[in-house]
Amino acid sequence: MEQAIVQAAKLIGAGLAMIGALGGGIGIGLSAQGAVQGIARNPDAAGQVQTNMILGIAFSEAVAIYCLVIALLILFV
Amino acid sequence: MADPKKDPGTRKKGNLRKEFGIVLLSTGVLGALGWHFFPPVMPHVQLPSEPVVAHPLSLPVLGDVYLTNTLVAMLLMDLVVLALVYAVQKAAKSGDLVPRGISGAFEALLEAMYNLTESTAGKWTADIFPYFATFFILVLIANYMELLPGVDSIGWLVPAEHSGHAAKGIFLLKQAGEYTVVPWVRVLSTDLNFTAGLALVSVFMTQVIGVKALGLPYFGKFFNIKAVFTVKPRWMGFIDFLVSILEIISEVAKIISFSFRLFGNLFAGSVMLFVIGFLVPIWFQSAVLLLEAFVGVIQALVFGMLTLMFMSLATHPHGGEHEEAHA
Repeated sequence: MEQAIVQAAKLIGAGLAMIGALGGGIGIGLSAQGAVQGIARNPDAAGQVQTNMILGIAFSEAVAIYCLVIALLILFV
Repeated sequence: MADPKKDPGTRKKGNLRKEFGIVLLSTGVLGALGWHFFPPVMPHVQLPSEPVVAHPLSLPVLGDVYLTNTLVAMLLMDLVVLALVYAVQKAAKSGDLVPRGISGAFEALLEAMYNLTESTAGKWTADIFPYFATFFILVLIANYMELLPGVDSIGWLVPAEHSGHAAKGIFLLKQAGEYTVVPWVRVLSTDLNFTAGLALVSVFMTQVIGVKALGLPYFGKFFNIKAVFTVKPRWMGFIDFLVSILEIISEVAKIISFSFRLFGNLFAGSVMLFVIGFLVPIWFQSAVLLLEAFVGVIQALVFGMLTLMFMSLATHPHGGEHEEAHA
């Protein structure tokens, strides 16, 4: 019984930890939006904009990845 | 209908398409049959790396060192890097001015990376480029090991709930339940030790390059005592000093973010590969492999490029003047 409660708490905790992925998703969407708008106005700068966009996406994705790592740690360690 | 004699191109293409369809159909049928006879097993997710040999190597200072499966992957990666170095060096020494094959590919890759470094780092290109290129190539090779069949899936079969080495046989799948597989080779980037090591090297060498570029005033970024005496309202200068202390925390956060970004991406990727293999036995895993190939190169590029950005930021003098930023 206690084992089952611990397991349930682990699953709920992992689910709660992944709420943080919300921020990463919003961030990636916003940076892609900005990059597409920039490329539409100035297609010549597409290469530079793309590089910076990928860098920015990696930054905001990192936040979601921290949540994922925490969730995995809760579940499997 | 095009005459095959008149138009060999279409004829060939049509044949290829037909063969592709047959292959796809037969793999589907085989996959469905295989699923019937060998039902997929729920993967066992293992976070720390596991030893693949029973006896540890006793070293004087370090104590007992086990040959873990990520260590095997690191040795393989080293072999691949050394083989590439040997091939490129041989091509460079042969005096042939036109690079061919692997050395040509490397020349194109390094030239693109060098131009990228030059556009960011300016006159410090020669100092920064080696770190960028090394990180990119090392992380790329470490990540792409994930795409090889057998990595993460072939190994010793041991009873579950048993962390030690107790070989029961060799098995080809990760399995939960009574037995579990300790793979011989596991993707290197799914070991936090590797990514944290790279992150430590990256952040430490950033400081070294900062000192090389600016001298001791580089540390004014962390202990901005000058602001206390120069900034007009004294309390504003004091706040500047406190903010500069925060820079130290941001350096530590860089280590954490570097290591967890790479580790998290690759670990999540390999878990996803196995879970998808459990849910859909065939075809769909190939699509996930394609995604993983993309993620592998993106993460390698991000690791290298963030190092490049931080290093080139460290070479710029802080305090407002940015006239030599575009040297």
